[in-house]
Amino acid sequence: MATDAMTGRSTKAAPNATGTRFAHLATLRNWLILFALWEIIGRLKLVADGALPAPSSVLSRLWTDRADYPAHILATVEAAGAGFLIGNLLAVAAGVLFALYPVTARLARGINVAIFALPPIAISPILVITFSGMEPRIILAAVGCYFVTMSATVTGITQTDGRAIDIVKAYGGGRWQILRYAQFRSALPSILAGLRIAAPNAVLGAILAEFGGGGRYGLGVYLIGSLGRGEPDRLWGIGLSATLIAGLAYALFSVLAARLTGASKAVTVPASPPAAVKDANRLHEAGLVLASVALPFLLWWLLLYAMGTPAMIAKTPAALFDYLFLAPNSAASQAKLLAALAQTLPMTIAGMALGLAFAFALALGSVLFPAIIRGFMPVALVTQTMPLVALTPLLVLMLGRGPSVILWITVSVTFFPAFVTMAQGLSLVPRAALEVPKAYGAGPLKQLRFVSIPASLPYLFAATRLAVPRALLGVMIAEWLATGTGLGNLLNQSRGYLDYGMIWAVAVVSVLVSVLFYQCVIVIERRVLSRRGMAPAQ
Amino acid sequence: MSAQASIAITHVSRSFAGRGAVVQALDDVSLDCPAGSFTALIGPSGCGKSTMLRIALGLDTPNEGEVQIGGMKPFQAAKSGMTGVAFQDAALMPWRTVEDNIMLPLDVLNRNRTEFQEKVTHLIELVGLAGFEKALPGELSGGMRQRAAIARSLVTTPQVLFLDEPFGALDQILRRQMNIELQRIWMESRATTLLVTHGIDEAIFLADRVVVMQSRPGRIGKIIEIPFDRPRRPELFSLPEFHQLEREIAEALDGH
Repeated sequence: MATDAMTGRSTKAAPNATGTRFAHLATLRNWLILFALWEIIGRLKLVADGALPAPSSVLSRLWTDRADYPAHILATVEAAGAGFLIGNLLAVAAGVLFALYPVTARLARGINVAIFALPPIAISPILVITFSGMEPRIILAAVGCYFVTMSATVTGITQTDGRAIDIVKAYGGGRWQILRYAQFRSALPSILAGLRIAAPNAVLGAILAEFGGGGRYGLGVYLIGSLGRGEPDRLWGIGLSATLIAGLAYALFSVLAARLTGASKAVTVPASPPAAVKDANRLHEAGLVLASVALPFLLWWLLLYAMGTPAMIAKTPAALFDYLFLAPNSAASQAKLLAALAQTLPMTIAGMALGLAFAFALALGSVLFPAIIRGFMPVALVTQTMPLVALTPLLVLMLGRGPSVILWITVSVTFFPAFVTMAQGLSLVPRAALEVPKAYGAGPLKQLRFVSIPASLPYLFAATRLAVPRALLGVMIAEWLATGTGLGNLLNQSRGYLDYGMIWAVAVVSVLVSVLFYQCVIVIERRVLSRRGMAPAQ
Repeated sequence: MSAQASIAITHVSRSFAGRGAVVQALDDVSLDCPAGSFTALIGPSGCGKSTMLRIALGLDTPNEGEVQIGGMKPFQAAKSGMTGVAFQDAALMPWRTVEDNIMLPLDVLNRNRTEFQEKVTHLIELVGLAGFEKALPGELSGGMRQRAAIARSLVTTPQVLFLDEPFGALDQILRRQMNIELQRIWMESRATTLLVTHGIDEAIFLADRVVVMQSRPGRIGKIIEIPFDRPRRPELFSLPEFHQLEREIAEALDGH
């Protein structure tokens, strides 16, 4: 409602109390149905001979294992909390800098895209060999927070009402006073919405680092340790506690946001780095692009230099080039890497396409049958905050270790955020636009064809941007934990062989692949949308 | 009554480069507002009235010419706290209470809030918002918000007051009431005032003189003196002399 006071129009719709209570009831009902079904399936051992235990047996196992949990939960929460704090402080500071000095946003674009697109599992082994103790977990948790909060901050600040800025300026206020009295406060709802999504990301980051990181405590450690024992009820207990922690973190910031800002219902995840105006000078423009590509590599180099990690373990860009192209056994390394890539890439593309198609179909279904989706949406929203990837071991239990498990995991991690983004986009299609074809006698299918589908294109692209890194993450985790193929497995194997060059190579290649995919999506998106006179969705 | 300062606009030109075309928003405009005067700027959309006001406020800079407020550059004048401003839509910060919104200029100018507490209470009474000090803008009606914005523009006891269509979003009845209130407030402060408006009757009722602007390029067409004594009463709106002036301004707006 922030803009209403500014425009001086009162558009505040009276909240329909009975309506919301009814919606809450419907959500509750859906959850109850879900649990009842689950209980029945579990009791009858319908899935993979008991790989999906009934909620009641999961709960009783949780009670038996209750002495184990506090230490593991504490370790995970500690790392996630520290990472959340550090990552978000950096993100807000960076967001303010990018919003106030757009040139810095252009320079940092390479770093921002890399951080957004990197599959956390790929850099977790690097962090583990370069840092020690809790540091890898904290860093991965912080990385999970950075992009979301940074882009939320930039969006919030740049969308500040121009008149609020004018008022401060008209009394001689400078840049910092404008930031203090107008922009920062007006960006707060957006920043809080970012923090809300960042919170479960931090938990997921910490758990992923625990997967590959040794150490005695942490839910990720517990999960990996229990995977081999084939005790589904315990795995489910761990997965559910991880989900609960992430969900609680999400809820905490939802309440804070509601308290502080009244209402801010942004639930979609930002998937684009801050937009910046192109420099008119070609030479400047080229320089900026070049610098933004070079900066991540420079940062990588400088970080290793500053930390003084031994060259045997820490590979600089030059050392990596040496490993892959100049060293005596570089041909063998290249072959291994390419073979793994050839296994991972098709799976990533297939999983992503399936997940997106499924999400798009269901989102379109939400236009045709709004009632079904209204009950399903809250469930989907909650699922979006789950560290789904942390549930991978459960899928392995249920689906075995064949290639199909890769597809299932990839579809499940790409589906929900894509669905939420697209359904939100479709719900933003103005009613008037839908009613024009209706007035000429069009049925729901024609409405879809002439209005909803064209209008939802920006959201389809936004969902694709969001899905790219998640798909690669899903595939690599499945390969690591289940199938023993592709890049994920190569990463895991190289850890065992202490093949540091290969660990770095896989990490860098998977980040590059993800960034490349992402850039391709952006280029296609710009082409398609600009031809249709549309702007990209957040 | 406060010390007063004049507004001097000398040979100001400002153009905006749009898509291929260059829009000449202001073309060599000069206007002097003596200290303590009340000037109304009226003109069709796009004649550069708001651009002129933004330049005088230091929010925009001219391509040529200069503006002086009491002998100072606009931004310096703003920083010294001698100017006050109210925009078309109240432009209140939605997260600040009425009182806090009125005190915003004090915060920006680093002035001590407690010293102004009495003044703020007085202003809130003056604009008829007593009892709403702690209300948020979202809880007020459009007219109340606008009055809060007027109170905010007066909190620094400005020597120069800029009003950019302050009642543009209000209905005709409320607008008349606010005009009468504004006159009362202005007679107390006698700040040099520049009012940008679309309302011919509002301009005549409030101003010493009405400056009619024309567009493409933005320039001053005609300056019409308003001879009525103050305080002006609502009956004025129906006097033949008033209608005569309205006709004169309407003709000037048409370019005669």
